[in-house]
Amino acid sequence: MGDLVDSMLDLMRRLPPTRTEENVTALIGICPEYADDLLGSVDQPLKLRTDRATGKEYLACDYNRDGESFRSPWSNEYDPPLEDGTIPTPKLRKLEIAANEAFDTYREMYFEGGASSVYLWDLDDGGFAGVVLLKKTMTPTTAYEPSGSWDSIHVFETAERGRQAHYKLTSTVMLQLVTRKGSDSETDVEKNNNGSKSGATGWKHEGEVSLSGSMTRQTEQDWPILDSSSHITNTGRMIEEMEIKMRGLLQEVYFGKTRDIVYDLRSVEDLASERRQRELQKELVGRLGKR
Amino acid sequence: MNATERIEAACSFLLQSPPGEINDVLNDVRNIISDDDSLHEGVLPALKEYNLTQFMTVDVPGTDHQARFLFDYARPIPANATEGGQERFVDPRSKTSFLFDHLSLEASDSQPAEPDADSEPFRAALEKATLTYLEAHFHDGVASIFSSKQSTNQFIMQVVANKYNPANYWAGRWRSEYTIDLNENTVSGKVLVNVHYYEQGNVQLSTTHTISLSLPTAIVTSSPSSSASKILALIEDEEGKYQTSLNDTYQEMGEKTFKGLRRALPLTRQKIDWDKVLGYKLGAELASSKGMFGGS
Repeated sequence: MGDLVDSMLDLMRRLPPTRTEENVTALIGICPEYADDLLGSVDQPLKLRTDRATGKEYLACDYNRDGESFRSPWSNEYDPPLEDGTIPTPKLRKLEIAANEAFDTYREMYFEGGASSVYLWDLDDGGFAGVVLLKKTMTPTTAYEPSGSWDSIHVFETAERGRQAHYKLTSTVMLQLVTRKGSDSETDVEKNNNGSKSGATGWKHEGEVSLSGSMTRQTEQDWPILDSSSHITNTGRMIEEMEIKMRGLLQEVYFGKTRDIVYDLRSVEDLASERRQRELQKELVGRLGKR
Repeated sequence: MNATERIEAACSFLLQSPPGEINDVLNDVRNIISDDDSLHEGVLPALKEYNLTQFMTVDVPGTDHQARFLFDYARPIPANATEGGQERFVDPRSKTSFLFDHLSLEASDSQPAEPDADSEPFRAALEKATLTYLEAHFHDGVASIFSSKQSTNQFIMQVVANKYNPANYWAGRWRSEYTIDLNENTVSGKVLVNVHYYEQGNVQLSTTHTISLSLPTAIVTSSPSSSASKILALIEDEEGKYQTSLNDTYQEMGEKTFKGLRRALPLTRQKIDWDKVLGYKLGAELASSKGMFGGS
């Protein structure tokens, strides 16, 4: 039955990243028995919630969910309230509080807004694991302002080995950028009146460009530890490095590639005259060669 | 989910297929639904819709060209011509009609199809001008021009260019459609571009661009061939501008929007000093609890 999950994952890699939530819901509807496999393997945009006790925003995902309730990293309370909701041990909670404060600073420095949340949990083998969540949304105030969203999910596991700790990090970034443009024809009319060959009364146009993507990368590293707070500086450095790398990849490689593909479809330059020129050149070279 | 809802979900997946990946999506969907009998019947309308809205092309039997097919603007079709997944379409360029299979994407049973005498001269002129435009700007383009069933002075022009490169995990599709209305003297249409790049990720570009233009009377009153090439010159100019503006949009998105979401580096232009971040936030309390997770 692994086949079925593979097909679902293949499908999710093909369908638009902008419709991930809707498509995951549909897949779970078709195969409810595979809900856990699917939710465990496909990252979805993070949900923003407000901590009732502190009024601070936090991010909800599978890692801070117990039943229908979500735990806030700020107050450690579940909403809706749970009497026996899973919470970290006091020691781990202390580290979780510190990690939330550190990544809140990270968020402010890189995102200048948005929300962050860190959740930690103990592992059976004595180590612990955690997830660092970051989300920022740009909401346009007018029709032609750009909009977009960034969601990143960093899941890590760590095991201490003497004065070293081994970290395994899996990072997913989901990104969406939307630009809307429109023109009433006024500027075009002016341009066309001033020396347009065609004498057309001007195009009216309106359009939207949407670039969206999701990608996942993994890394494993060893870092020295002095005390438990070293786990925050270590994962902090790893996550910062990873986000810089993934942001760069998305902007330079992935988005750059989609732009190049547009030029593989259509050429701004006249291909026919280019072809004629090449033929002419060949002919000239041929004639010169005969002399 | 009941059987109907499952088919509805399957149809929705198919209609979201990126360029050139409809068969991959169909294979996944077959595996997931695992009921070929109900699936085959159920998704046929979605496949038809996909073929029409995504400007699928077909090799026209007995010709060396491909064509777009457009049901709505084809000549009236005898009721018995539609059977199973097959429908009869007209290729005005070769003046033939053919049966098209929406599942196999193949054409067969080609028959002569007489064009409408009144609209054919202008349609043929538009076709000639469009094919010249296609040669000039598209790497693998296909175009078809249809005269409207509703009016002799209305024409539909469709252009599609596809590039599929599954070995390198990318595919792209450019679609243009224009309605040229010589009663209203207008050209209106849209350009749609879809690109999928999925090497170790899933990145998609999706653009829509709708345009409209009033034609000057000078263009409309000249001979079919002269007015058709003038109309195509206008389209060439507008599509060229659009493609260039798309480049600017990329630039803008990279510099403004992307930066507005997440900076490449903090304002300090340096990576974060994590020891400091922790130092600011924490007292000695946490730092002193050495080895609290044991040295296992």
